[in-house]
Parts: sequence; structure tokens; C-alpha cells
Amino acid sequence: MGIPKITPIESQLVNPNKIEDFPGPYCMSFGFDIRPLAQSIDRVGLVNCPLLIENKNAELTVIVGYRRIHALKTLGWDRIPCGVLSESEVSPLECLLLNLYDNLATRKLNEVEKGMVLNRLHSQVQGKEILELYMPLLELPSNESALLFFIKLEQELDREIKEYLIQKKISLQTAKMLLKMEPDERSHAFNFMSNIKFNINQQKQFIDNIIDLVLIENKPAHELLNEPSLKGILVNKQLNNPQKAKAILKLLRGRRFPSLVKAEKAFKKKVSSLDLPKSASIHAPPYFEEPHYRLEVLFREGKELRETINRLNLTEGLDKLGDPWEKDV
Amino acid sequence: MSNFTIKKVLVEEGARKRAFTDEVLSRLPGIPVQHVKDITSATVSDELDMGKDTLHLLSYKGEFLKPCPGTREYICCGYQILNVATNCPINCSYCILQSYFNQPNLRVFANLDEKIDQVLKEIDSKPECIFRVGTGEFTDSLAIDSITCWSDLLVPRFSERKNAVLELKTKTTQIDRLVAGKYRDRIIVSWSLNSPYISAHEEHKAASLKKRLEAARQCQSEGFVLGFHFDPLIPHPNWKDEYLRTIELMDKYVDPKRIIWISLGSFRFMPGLKPIIRRRHPGSCVLDGEFITGLDGKMRYFKPIRIALYKFMRENLEKWHQNLGLYLCMESDDVWQKSLGWSPRNSIGLRSYLDRRVVEIFG
Repeated sequence: MGIPKITPIESQLVNPNKIEDFPGPYCMSFGFDIRPLAQSIDRVGLVNCPLLIENKNAELTVIVGYRRIHALKTLGWDRIPCGVLSESEVSPLECLLLNLYDNLATRKLNEVEKGMVLNRLHSQVQGKEILELYMPLLELPSNESALLFFIKLEQELDREIKEYLIQKKISLQTAKMLLKMEPDERSHAFNFMSNIKFNINQQKQFIDNIIDLVLIENKPAHELLNEPSLKGILVNKQLNNPQKAKAILKLLRGRRFPSLVKAEKAFKKKVSSLDLPKSASIHAPPYFEEPHYRLEVLFREGKELRETINRLNLTEGLDKLGDPWEKDV
Repeated sequence: MSNFTIKKVLVEEGARKRAFTDEVLSRLPGIPVQHVKDITSATVSDELDMGKDTLHLLSYKGEFLKPCPGTREYICCGYQILNVATNCPINCSYCILQSYFNQPNLRVFANLDEKIDQVLKEIDSKPECIFRVGTGEFTDSLAIDSITCWSDLLVPRFSERKNAVLELKTKTTQIDRLVAGKYRDRIIVSWSLNSPYISAHEEHKAASLKKRLEAARQCQSEGFVLGFHFDPLIPHPNWKDEYLRTIELMDKYVDPKRIIWISLGSFRFMPGLKPIIRRRHPGSCVLDGEFITGLDGKMRYFKPIRIALYKFMRENLEKWHQNLGLYLCMESDDVWQKSLGWSPRNSIGLRSYLDRRVVEIFG
């Protein structure tokens, strides 16, 4: 698809109230701060005129310059110089591509905006062409699942979640995981998450555990999240947010991995019951998967090491140390 | 005839004008055939059905005989995979092939007949080794045998070799061609088994346990040596009673004396499989367990859960018969010790153990 080369169009003054107030079918702007642009226009004036399209009913839709129009409205301009094309001059796809290339030349699109682009293209361009031409342009991997993900991201996520995403308060992976939940459940999980302010890693653990527990316990997310044990942590005034986040994840992990957590606790208890020298510590391998436990001894010189080894040799209960689940198997 | 419906055949350029391709097409009259240059020019099937009803004939350029892709962190049986096809018409929720191969369709290698001599030459060149060869790792060995007639090609060739066995592993009852043939020696017909619950809820399009075991009985009565594979074992509500029911069924249908081996393995998967299972099999219980990251990077059950599964199976299988050639698939020395009461210590030890089973049964 070629993009029409717009020969200079004489601008005309347009009443801003006649221009549709939302991005419309061609613009891809989401989550922007209008103030810097408004300040710039206020200082040096409007350098490039927006481009509009007029339909048979004389309604004006923005092709290029949505943010500028928004800024000018904020500044109170009552006439805006715009280029105006008629529907017979450009096709909808051409309008879309004009906007896309105009944007790509001047700024980086955020993830939601990329979703907007792909959604709009999807209805007008073959999937293969999107994958081969437009995904690389948007710096996205050229595969079907990435395309579907960005389309869903734009279509299905609530505005608030999208805003969190572009403000980097949640990661793209978190957004992906949230998309796997039913809309209502997602909204509950997101509200819970945004109250606690989990870090990115914690968000993943939280959603992972919630999705698993919902399926394993056959209980909707909102019911799970409203349980007194979780609510109690949320409203506990003795805890700050990072402490709440840790406590919630600990609780969910204990529920998702009961045997593992039980074994970890039993091992910890057993080790702390041993009268180990202060400079010695015993550690279990990750998830107890490797067969060996690890003894760590800190020392400054050989004499100190020998003393620690002698004390270890006399430590009672060492020979009973082993896999903490032995009696359960 | 196969119980699995083929709705379309794709023939890649490399598979055209091959006798195998012509024979396969003659067994599928009326099925639309599309000639394609390569996979990228073929229509990619719906991600959810993975092209399970599309037979894709191509010429395979890689090695046909490859060692099982075990990892050094766990004890591996040293199996050799005869790579006849990838993907499978059965639709098990836990199947690792869903994430293992990035291409859809039942991909059948039309140049097997040409390459099999090379494989046999390799086997013949090492008479001191025992080659335990199977076709059931990347596909079901028998599910589309009525279309591919792999058994006609492979069984006679393996049957006459003294340093190899061919294991045909299946979840189907497609044994007609096999039992119609005259070859029995050094052929092992194996069934993957699970609990009745897992079989009914997670092994879509597979034959029922009863039917599998009826087919096993028929093969045994026809003189074939049998193998069984409880892999993946999956803890689920009432799993002990459920797996006991399967062992009871085995007792009902099969004589344990002519079983060469029974493997036990617990569900393990690359992390990337989880979202695929969630998407393709909503409602599946196979992800409900307590999975940890194993030493090979795969997700596997927390160790005491695995030990409990194996120990239970061992105790109850050995109540049935003492000499079943039980072994664990991809487990560590300590898990072997704690669940089976002995360990081959390493992959070499396990290979020797299984090779000895071959010698005991086939001589």
C-alpha cells in the first residue's frame, strides 16, 4: 500500500468545536501529557498545521495532529489553521498510514499506541503484511502471538491498566498475565495489586499464584481476594506497603505450594534447633531438588576454622538432619 | 483404517514423486491434497487444533536416528529415537510436543524408506552395542499406521537384527498391520498408561484404558513382547485408588511375565508449555500440582511428591509381579533410591540394566 504524497495544502481556519474530540479511526495517541506541547505552541506558535478529513456531512476527523488540536483547545484558540482533505482524495487506509508515518518520524509509540496501530491496521491490511512490514516498524517481533497480544491489549484492558502500563507501574508481562484473566476477575486482581504497589517481580508472582489458585480451588478471584486472611493484611496499619506485599505473597505461596513451604519451614526449624557455631550455617538447595545440603563456615584464619569444625563435631542432632519430608513419604 | 480423520494433505516439494507419498495418497482417496514449496507457503493451521487433521509429507533433512534428548542432571535410559514424524493426532493436554515443535500438522517424513538403510547400517556397524530404538517419542508409533504403514517397513528390518529392538509406543488400538505381519522377534509393543481419570479427562482422542489393554492382550497372545509407560504420572484427587484401578486392569488383561519393562515418569515440562496448556485445554488438572524448577530448567513436581508417586506405583506393581523391569525416566539417584529402593547410579548404569532386560527377554 503506497502512502499518498500530500502536496502542500493551503490551510484554512477551522472552528475547533467542529473537530471530533476523540482520536477517531486514524490517530493513535494514548496517555500523553499535553502541557509541554501547549507550552511550546504558546511560546512559538503552531509550526505544523494538523490535517483533517471532511466527510459528506461536513464532519471533520483528525488525520494528523490530534495532540496539537487538543493543546490548541486547551490554550483556547477559537480558530485553528488546518489542512482539510475530502473523502474522495484519500482512503481510510491512506489516512491511517499518514498518521502512522507522521508519528513514527517524530516520537516513539508506547505499547498501548502500538496496539491501537495494529488494531486499526488489522481491519484493513492482510495479517501477513502486518507481520512483515508493520511489526518491525513498531519494533515488535514479527509473529502472530505478538500481534494478537497487542491487539488484545488495546481492545480488552481497562483504561486504568493501560495507564499503569505506559507509566511503567506494571510490566508488559504483567499486562499479558492480566489479559489471561476474565475481565471481572482481572479488574479485582488489578485493584488489589494497585493498592499494594507490588514491584514488577512481585506482580508476576501475585498474578501467577492467583490464576493457579482460582483454577485449583475452583474459586473466583474476587472471592479469593476478599478472604479475611488477605484482606487482613491489606488493612493492617502496622505494616507498610513492602511488608504487606511480602506477607501477601508468602500467604499465597503457602497455599499454592503447601508441601514445599511445609518442608522449608520444617528444615528451618530443624536447623535453628541445632546449636551451631555462630560462624556456621546450613542451607538447603533450591526447592530441595539437589541431593546435597550446604554447610557454610566463615573464618578469618585456620585456627578459627579448626575451632568451628571442632564445635560442629560436638553439635548434637547433626546426624538427624536430612530431607524434612522423610516421615511423610 | 485409522480412527483419526485426515482432512487435508500437504505435500512438500521434497516429498513429491516418492513412492511413499504416492502410497500414502492412495490410502487417502478423496482427501484434498495441496502441493507446497515449503512450510511457510503452506496454510498454517489454527493454533488451537495444531493441524492435527492435516497430514504434512516432507523430506526430512536431519538425522533419523538420534539419542533421546535427556539431560545430564538426571539419569537417562539411553534410548534411541527413530524420527519418523513429529506431532500426533491424539490430543493429550500434557503433551510436551505442544511446545516442543514450532510447526503444526502431522509432519511425516516421506524419505524414511530411503534413509532407513543408513540407520540400519549404523546399527550393524556396532554389533557390541544394543540399540533400543523407538518411534514413539515425537509422535504416536501406531496412530496413523494404517496410512503410513511404518510397521510394514520397520518391523521386518528390526526383527532380523540381533543387537537392536524396536519399541512401538502408542495410546491407540491400531495394531492390525502389526499382528497381520509374521515378525515378532525383537519387537516391543508398548502402551502409555495412566489412571482412568487422567486417561478420560486429559488424553483426548486416545483409546480408553480398557481398549488399550485389550489391544495389549491381543498383541501378547500373538507373541509380541509388551512394554508399558506410566509417564506422566499425575497426582490428582484419589490418585492412589485411580492408579490401582489401572494396575488391576493390567492384571486382568496382561500376563506380566512377557513384559520387558515398565517406565515411571512424573509430569515435567518446559515453562513455555504452561500458557499453551491453559489456552488449549481449559479445565485441565495437569498444572494443579506443586511444580518447582528442576535442575534441567524444566518444571517438575516437588521431590517428595515424585517419590510418593513412584514408591506407590512400585509397591503395587511389584505386588502384581516382581520382575517387571521397572525404571524411572529422568530422575536423580536419590529419588531412585528412595522410591525404588535401588539405583543404577547414572545413565550408564540404567542403560546396562535395560540392555540386560533386552538380553533376558530376546536373548
